Amino acid sequence: MARGETWPIARPASERRLAFVVAFAFLIVGSLWVLFTDVLLYAVTHDRAVIARFETAKGWTFVGLTALLLFAITMRAATQLTRATRTTSAVLDSIGDGVLLLGSDRTIAHANPAAVRMLQAENRDALRGMGAPEFSRRYQVSYPDGHLVPPDQFVSQRVFDEDGPIRYKALLYPRKDTELVISCTAAAVRSANGGPADVVVSVMHDITATERMDRLRDELFTGTAHALKTPISVIKSASQVLSAGAPPDLLKSTTLIERQCVRIERLVENLLALSRIRSGTLQLHPACVELGPIIEDVVNQARRISNTHNVLFRQAADVRIRADRERLVMMLRNVTDAAARASRPGRPVTVRLDRRGDEAEIAVAFYPDSAHHSAETSQSDYEFDDLGVGRYVTATIVEAHGGTLTEEADDTATTIRIRLPLLVESPS
Amino acid sequence: MNNRAADVLVVDDDPDMVAIIRIMLDDSGYQVRCARNGKEALESVAERMPAVVLLDMLMPVMDGWQCARELRARYGRRVPIVVVTAAEHAGARAEQVGCDDVLAKPFEMAELLRIVARYAPRNESGSASTRSQ
Repeated sequence: MARGETWPIARPASERRLAFVVAFAFLIVGSLWVLFTDVLLYAVTHDRAVIARFETAKGWTFVGLTALLLFAITMRAATQLTRATRTTSAVLDSIGDGVLLLGSDRTIAHANPAAVRMLQAENRDALRGMGAPEFSRRYQVSYPDGHLVPPDQFVSQRVFDEDGPIRYKALLYPRKDTELVISCTAAAVRSANGGPADVVVSVMHDITATERMDRLRDELFTGTAHALKTPISVIKSASQVLSAGAPPDLLKSTTLIERQCVRIERLVENLLALSRIRSGTLQLHPACVELGPIIEDVVNQARRISNTHNVLFRQAADVRIRADRERLVMMLRNVTDAAARASRPGRPVTVRLDRRGDEAEIAVAFYPDSAHHSAETSQSDYEFDDLGVGRYVTATIVEAHGGTLTEEADDTATTIRIRLPLLVESPS
Repeated sequence: MNNRAADVLVVDDDPDMVAIIRIMLDDSGYQVRCARNGKEALESVAERMPAVVLLDMLMPVMDGWQCARELRARYGRRVPIVVVTAAEHAGARAEQVGCDDVLAKPFEMAELLRIVARYAPRNESGSASTRSQ
């Protein structure tokens, strides 16, 4: 803080108490001084002229001593205050995060050099007195999804009325071609608990570089996943061409190639979805879908690929839901694959579709291989087979559709249940 | 419908992808033409109208989306376009540019033949034939 600036803060209650104690002590000491010297004077002499002279001298002495005391106290307090102010100012000026102090009028009262630099202002005076609407116009403050943050929703404004500290991530545009990503935290300083904020401290942490790295990583992730789809397609198709009319030995090999292609394909799909989830760009394109035929397709494909399990489909009811078909298929494949992987060889995996009240229920039942019951084995298998990613992606897709994913097990069988809201048919 | 083998135009910049589609369609009796990008595809269609166009999306020179728009602008619905893509939710976008079908990569051979047969039906002798125009 520059010399001469004042903190936009009211005097705290503790200071008032200290001032009261000092004033009271002075009152007591002063009164005792007057009383004691008067008693002493009247004990020594009764001459009125002498007493008058001594009273005058006593008064002047009192004034002199008081002046000395006031000087000492004020000097000491002022020195401490100056030291504290300079220390705070040095701390504010030296930290890398941008700090804005807002006064009770909700405008910027002070900005540290980092804030001036981050906001690309000419100097701190250019920011002083700036209110939220002007700040919004100047910096186009927006949420990461691109929507503008209303000025009254800035954390530095909300914290005047809400308990803090409050934090959010926001994008600012100090120049047209400069994007600044900040993690912003605001806290209020109040003289009394629950009282109005005297000052708000808003700290802006620049995370532009980290965000850019995250974005680049997600783009690389997405790009790689896309690029892998064409080679997988070529290998899978070539294997299918070879398998047409192939002798049994060759057919075994082509089936192996195809099965591994499907595994890579699923992994790529799940990694792509994971990348979308991480970056908050997972989009759903919901439409009215008939669940039975979709599950039947997935089950048929699982049956064709699996060499160790018979995957069965039981449809107890016709069910229509509103869902994103592509994501729905991904979710069903993940659950069916997970069940087949964890299942004892030779035992069936059964997918059952039914209605439960106003929900559709897809229950995938299987008999777990005992080797998968041990936590260590299970974990290593998850990592090897990407079940962790698949499960997370599946749970996120189910949740995005307003559904639930649960798993229950008894001594012999395990059932994964997915419940999704039924389509509400409008009366024609 | 006549007995001339149905003509399928495969538009993809990946030579391996083109080669494997060609093998699969050749074996099923289709006549396959290839183009490496949207611009070549437009020239090929101008030369002779195919029974169906299998159109990749990400290509140099002219991408699939632009090519699809051009094809629709020039020939209306006379040329069926099947989008072959690795993109997510390609169906919704394909609908916007007026494509007829979508084949998502990686695809099954049976799926490819089923979709192509929808626009270039095979005749009774088992070989693919051109549609009556």
